[in-house]
Amino acid sequence: MIGKDKILNLLNSVIQKSKADLTEAVYIGGEGGLTRFANSSIHQNVSERNSRVYFRVALGKKIGVASTNSFIQEDLEKSLLNAFEIAKNQRENPNFPGLPSKSDYPKLNTYFESTAQFTPTQRAQGVKKILDQTKASNLTASGSFSTGYTEIAVVNSKGVAGYQPLTSTYLNLVVTGDDSAGYSDQLTRNVDDMGIDQLAQTAIKKCIDSKAPKSLEPGEYTVILEPSAVAALIEWMNYIGFGSKSLQEGTSFLANRIGKKIMGDNVTMYDNGPDESAIAFPFDFEGVPKQKVMLVENGIAKGVVYDSITAHKEGKKSTGHSLTPDSSEGGLALNMFIEGGDSSLDKMIKSAEKAILITRFHYINGYLDTNNALLTGMTRDGTFWVEGGKVQHGIKNLRFTESMLKAFSNVRQISKERKIVNSWWGDVGCIVAPAMMMDNFKFTGKTEF
Amino acid sequence: MKDRIKEIIDYLKKKKVDYADIRHQKSQVEDISVKNGNVEALSRNEDQGIGIRVIANGAWGFAASSILSLEEMRRVADNAIEIAQASAITKKEDARLTPTDIHQDKYQSRYRIDPFEVPIDKKLELLLKANAILKNNPKIKVAESSMNFFRTEKIFASTEGAYIEQLKLESGAGISATAVEGTEAQKRSFPNSPRGDYAARGYEFVEGLKLVENAEKTREEAVELVSAPPLPDTVATIIIGGNQLALQVHESCGHPTELDRVLGTEISFAGGSFMSIDKLNQLKYGSDKVTIVADATIPEGLGGFGYDDEGVKAQRVYLIKDGLFVGYQTSRETAAVLKQRSNGTMRADGWNRIPLIRMTNINLEPGEWELEDLIKDTKDGFYLETNKSWSIDDKRLNFQFGVEAAWEIKDGKLGRMYKNGVYTGITPQFWNSCDAICNQKHWHIWGVPNCGKGEPMQTARVAHGTAPSRFRNVKVGVSK
Repeated sequence: MIGKDKILNLLNSVIQKSKADLTEAVYIGGEGGLTRFANSSIHQNVSERNSRVYFRVALGKKIGVASTNSFIQEDLEKSLLNAFEIAKNQRENPNFPGLPSKSDYPKLNTYFESTAQFTPTQRAQGVKKILDQTKASNLTASGSFSTGYTEIAVVNSKGVAGYQPLTSTYLNLVVTGDDSAGYSDQLTRNVDDMGIDQLAQTAIKKCIDSKAPKSLEPGEYTVILEPSAVAALIEWMNYIGFGSKSLQEGTSFLANRIGKKIMGDNVTMYDNGPDESAIAFPFDFEGVPKQKVMLVENGIAKGVVYDSITAHKEGKKSTGHSLTPDSSEGGLALNMFIEGGDSSLDKMIKSAEKAILITRFHYINGYLDTNNALLTGMTRDGTFWVEGGKVQHGIKNLRFTESMLKAFSNVRQISKERKIVNSWWGDVGCIVAPAMMMDNFKFTGKTEF
Repeated sequence: MKDRIKEIIDYLKKKKVDYADIRHQKSQVEDISVKNGNVEALSRNEDQGIGIRVIANGAWGFAASSILSLEEMRRVADNAIEIAQASAITKKEDARLTPTDIHQDKYQSRYRIDPFEVPIDKKLELLLKANAILKNNPKIKVAESSMNFFRTEKIFASTEGAYIEQLKLESGAGISATAVEGTEAQKRSFPNSPRGDYAARGYEFVEGLKLVENAEKTREEAVELVSAPPLPDTVATIIIGGNQLALQVHESCGHPTELDRVLGTEISFAGGSFMSIDKLNQLKYGSDKVTIVADATIPEGLGGFGYDDEGVKAQRVYLIKDGLFVGYQTSRETAAVLKQRSNGTMRADGWNRIPLIRMTNINLEPGEWELEDLIKDTKDGFYLETNKSWSIDDKRLNFQFGVEAAWEIKDGKLGRMYKNGVYTGITPQFWNSCDAICNQKHWHIWGVPNCGKGEPMQTARVAHGTAPSRFRNVKVGVSK
C-alpha cells in the first residue's frame, strides 16, 4: 500500500505544475495474485505490482489525455506534459462541461487486510482443498483463485480529492467428468468470507447430477436461470443499453422507450455504487459521487447512467458513472442490482411442469440487434431437464437467441435470495442478481456435448 | 536495462531454479476517435515493466512489477520463486520444456512512416474529413472514424542463454456509419469491424486504407440497411466475404487448435476444444479445398514477429491440409505431448502477463476463383460481409455469427440487401461444406486487435488471411 496521503500529495504536486486551464489526475494501482488450476493441479500462478496514472487536461474545451504506469514524479510530469501537448493540437469538444467540483463521498468499508495480505501459499492451499474433494469424487477441477488490493484516487484542479482503497477476491471452479461439468463461483471483498468447501461441493454435485446428458431439440421452453445466468444476460444488456452513449446514439433498447413498459411488472433494475451489501464504490473516475439510478422500475424504462460529458449534452448532471479518462464510452452502470422477489430456486423447480434449469451461459453476444436487446449464447457447466417438480437429468448444451425485452416480460418467479456475481468491471463493480423463472425462452440450436 | 537483466538472470541461476526467463516490455499506445465531427478520444498511454517466469521445484511461478530498480527486480525474482514453490503443493508431475534453439538476436517489424512521428493534426484532418462525409445524410445518427497505433519494444532473456530484442510497430484505422429510423439502428463499417483493419506496419498502412474515398459508400450502405428487410430464415448457399471469414477462421480453427486449450488449461474460462489429440491426422475438418496455416513469418501481419515470448523463432506450420486436421499451435511445454519441438506461438500481452499460446497469422490459403465468377456460378444464395456478432460454444463446435450486411444472389447476380444477417452451424460440418475459395487477388490478411484469452485476461493482436469463400447448406437468418 502506498497510502492516501502519499498518493494525493504526489498527484496534487504534479497537477499544480500544469499550464492547462483544468487538470485532472486518476491513480489506479495495487498488487494482486491469481492462481489458476486445470487438470487438478496449479498450472499458472502469477502476481503483479503495477499502477497507472491518467492525466486529462483542458485548454478551453480542447482535451488531451495521457497516461503512464510509472509513479515517479519526473515520469508523471512528463506524462502531464504529453497530455498538454495533445490538448494543444486538439479540436474543441463542445460537450465538455469542465471538470467536476469538490464533493463529499460516503465512507465505505471496501478494504480488508486479510485479503490484501493473502499469500500465494494460502491460495495454493485453498486450491488444494478443492482438488482433494474433486479427487475423492473421481472428478477433475479447473478454475482460478485471485486476491489483491487496489488504491484508486482522483484529484483535479478544482479541488476534487477522492481516495478509496479496496480489496477483492474471486474464485471460480469448473468440475468436469467424462461427459458433464459443474460450476460455482464467489466474489467478495473479504477472503475470510470465501466458502471454498461449499463452492467445491456445489460444482461437484452439478457435475455428478448432469452426467450422461440427453439431447433436447431447440424450441421455446420455460427456463429456470440461476443468478450467474441472469447476471450474464444483464451484463450484456448493460453494455448495449443502460449507458448514456447508447441511448443518445439510438442503439440502446431504451431509445425512444423511456417511460414506456418494456418488461414485466415484477422486473426492477437499478445501479447503486455505494451499496455496501455488494462490491461498493463511492465515486467515479471523474470524482463524482455515485448515485442510485433506476434503470427499469416495475417493467417501465426509467433512464440510463451518465458521465459529465454525455450528461451535459442533455443539460443534465453526471450520475457518477464515468469510466477512466482514456475512455469515450460515456457512462456505464458498474454496480447493478436486480430486485429480488418472493420465490426461491427450490420453489421454482417444484412448481415447474417442464423446464430447463441453467447454471450459467457461455460466450453471450449482444450485438445482433441492440434495439431489441437480442442476445445469443450457449448454456454451460450444468444444464438440466426439470419435469414434474424435480430435476430429472442433465441435458446437452443449447444455444439461445432471444430478445431480452421479451424474456424479461415473461418472468414468472424471482428468488428472494440474490447473489453477488462477478462482472467485467472487477474490483469496482458487480451484478447482484436473483434466480429467475421465465416462460417461452427461445433456443435456436444445440451442440454435441 | 540489459545489465540489470543479465544480473537478475545470474541471480536466478544462483538460486538454482530449473529454468527462468525475464521479459522487459515498453509500449506506447495512441488512440484517436472522432465521432460526429468531435474528437472524442485522443490519448497516448505509456507502459513498461518486467515479468519473471520461473520453474522451481518442478512448478511454475511468475511475478511482475512496473518498478525497474535492481532491488525491485530481485524482489520480483524471489516472489516468482516463492509462487512456484506454492504451485508445487498441487504438482502431479514436473513442468518441463522441450529443447529449442537458443538465440541472441534483434528483430524489427517493417514500416516506412513511424505513426508516432506523424503530427496529430494530420491524423485528425484525415479522420475529420472522412467523418464529415459519413455524417452527410440525415439518417446517419453516428459517424465514427478512428486510428490506433502501438509501439512495443521487448527484451527476452533466459537462463538458457537467450537474449532477444524486438521492436514492433502496429497501425490500424477504420470508419463506420450508423443509420437510425425509429427504434431501428444499423451500422456499416469499412474496411472491417470493429475499428477497421490493422497491420504490423507504419502510417503508410493507414494512408493505404483510403478511408475518405470509401466514406460515401459506407454511409449509403448504412442508410440502405436501416430500411432493408431481415435476412430470411432458411438453409442456403452462402458466400462469405473475407473480413467475416477472418473471424470464422479465428473462432472455429484458430482457438480450437491452441494446444494449451486442447489440453484443458483454459477450461474454466473460455473452455476447451473438440480438436482433441486423438483426432490429429484423423479428423476430416474441412473439404479438400480447405488448407489453413499458422504463419508468424509474415512480418506485416498483426500476428507476425521474429521470436515468440519463449524465444522460439517464428514459423509457418500447417493446421489443416487439404481438409485434414494435421497440426496445432504449440509451446515449449505443450509440444512435449506430441513429442515435437515448439512451433513458437507463445505470447503475452504485456510484461505483467505470462505467455500463452496465441494465434499468429492463421490463414486460410487462397483458392482459384475470381469473386465475379463465383457469384456467377451461384444460382441462389446470399453474400455476407463484415462481422457484427460472434458466439461459439465452449468446445468450438456450435457457432453463430451475425454480419453487418447481406445481399441476395439470384441467378449469378448480386441483388437486394438484407439486414440482421445471421448464420449458424457446427464447425466440421461447416468447413466440409466449403466448395470454393477465391484466389490470391481477393486474399487479404485482416488484423484482429482484440483476441481475449486467459486469466487475468490478455488481449492479443492476431491476424487472418482469407478470401471470399462459398459454403453449401448453411442455416441462415436465425436471429428471431
